[in-house]
Amino acid sequence: MGAAGRPAVAIAGLSWTYERRSEPALRDVDLTIDQGEFLGVVGPNESGKSTLLYVIQGLIPSNFNGIWRGRVELFGKDTSAMSGLERAAAAGLVFADPEAQFTAMTVEEELVFGLENLGLDHRQIELRLQRVSDLIDLEELYDRSPYDLSGGQKQRVAIACVLAMEPRVLLLDEPTSMIDPRGKKEIFEVLRRLKDTDHTVVVVEHNLEELAALADRVCLVEGGRVRPPLPAGEFFARVDELIEAGLQPPQVAQTFAELARAGLYDGPPPYRFEPAVSAAREVLSHG
Amino acid sequence: MAVAVPAPRRMRKTLLGAVPMTSPFYALHPVTRLVGLLVLAAVPLFIYMPEANLAFLSLLLVLFVGGRVDLRGLRIYLPLVMTVAFFMFLVVLLSPDYASGYIPIHLGPFTTYYQSLRWTIASYVRIMAMLFATILYFSTNHEREILVALRTLRVPFAVSYIVGLSVRAAGMFMEDFRVIRQAEQARGLDSSSLRLRDRTRLYGMYLVPLFTIALRRAEEISNALAARGYSMSGKVLTGGVRHDFVRARYRLRAIDACLILLMVAGLAVVAYLQVRSGWFGLERSPLLMAWQRHLGGTG
Repeated sequence: MGAAGRPAVAIAGLSWTYERRSEPALRDVDLTIDQGEFLGVVGPNESGKSTLLYVIQGLIPSNFNGIWRGRVELFGKDTSAMSGLERAAAAGLVFADPEAQFTAMTVEEELVFGLENLGLDHRQIELRLQRVSDLIDLEELYDRSPYDLSGGQKQRVAIACVLAMEPRVLLLDEPTSMIDPRGKKEIFEVLRRLKDTDHTVVVVEHNLEELAALADRVCLVEGGRVRPPLPAGEFFARVDELIEAGLQPPQVAQTFAELARAGLYDGPPPYRFEPAVSAAREVLSHG
Repeated sequence: MAVAVPAPRRMRKTLLGAVPMTSPFYALHPVTRLVGLLVLAAVPLFIYMPEANLAFLSLLLVLFVGGRVDLRGLRIYLPLVMTVAFFMFLVVLLSPDYASGYIPIHLGPFTTYYQSLRWTIASYVRIMAMLFATILYFSTNHEREILVALRTLRVPFAVSYIVGLSVRAAGMFMEDFRVIRQAEQARGLDSSSLRLRDRTRLYGMYLVPLFTIALRRAEEISNALAARGYSMSGKVLTGGVRHDFVRARYRLRAIDACLILLMVAGLAVVAYLQVRSGWFGLERSPLLMAWQRHLGGTG
């Protein structure tokens, strides 16, 4: 099978326990993510979502101590056999706290840092900067310190830094968790643009409302166990199960689940706005 | 009547504040500025004569003004200047160096000696000269320029990167300190009303959260560096050379080369004059000689 036919990420029988912890952070994980797929990862706090991203990127076990069992492959290559540079080129990770990942004092240097690590020359770096600026409007921020930006701008810079390296897999750990509503909007706009590219995107996100509009498949992580990903429609149809897991399913899905319980609606609950409008019309026309 | 409002001056952030973009220092390559710091900080090492170091401090003042540094900002260093003076002169008053032939000076209940005091004065002025040379550099340069200078001088990438991260860490440490203090004040703590002993204890207690935060940040940055493929060796994915994009923005010009040569030559002349003939020695200081004559010694 050629590289194009391989999954972007393949995890088999993976368990990981952090040093000085008795319980594994991830247990018996089997997960395959296809190339070009947009996968949403949801779950309560401390369930192992961030650990899952670290494992895919290879930060675990290279930068952490603990007990590892299983195998993780990026495009058919075992991550334990890849160098840090190879892993960074294959899978970019955006951390939840943008400030935690800044290593330079201006936005431009921050963007350039990863590109220099890849060994690109000046012309190639300029091209990459141009490309990433086209996708994420940043040029006016180049001379500013990343610490002086608004929350949304910081996260945009953090995403741009990883995107500039053009990894085939993009891992985003709660990219909107530390920013205001306006900043969240900016980030989801960036994610929408990313969906139109051929990147494989894995996003850990609590905002299911927005995630529902983007994800091809969604998986639930609970107590270190990763449930098999389901197509978004099927996933968000399980409204009660999601609420039981401590999550907040999209408002429209909850409303239609209520209508179904009241016997006013009998289809799968829609989870996006436009289908919800059609479904509402149908309910009203029968009423 | 319409009032003309002047256009705001475009400022450039530096490590110790901000300086107008029109500062002539920005016409110079970062290496020239770094060599300037090294020379300016090294010159007082060869000058013992307080008058000469005071003249050197005046030159620094001219550079501060010429470099468009807001002199009002220097007020924040006044406590430092005073504290260093206090402790240096306290030591020479309470525990002066003594050898036979030293000229005693009686100050109330204390007896100190001219030779000890002379050395303290000379050392203090030297320290101030070096301190203000450093302040001048950090007031007119940004971290980026320090890194560019170090990389131009072919300092290994890892070393220059650690310097950059350290400068950044110092700033973050101060920011964390400010946040912790504000949190305390928000919960009603008025540290100004505390006795010195309690205040000292309070400062000791700050160390625990500050170091915990610093350790957590260190781990986060380590993960961020690893996630973006950084290795201490500076190795790159292609296996070739690392292309320094930011450094390539700066060009060393003829004026930079001339200034560097001039500064290094100036330092060499001062060093030669002092090492060879003690040109800037304490014994050649007209002020100190006059004071010694006044005290009755053989000036």
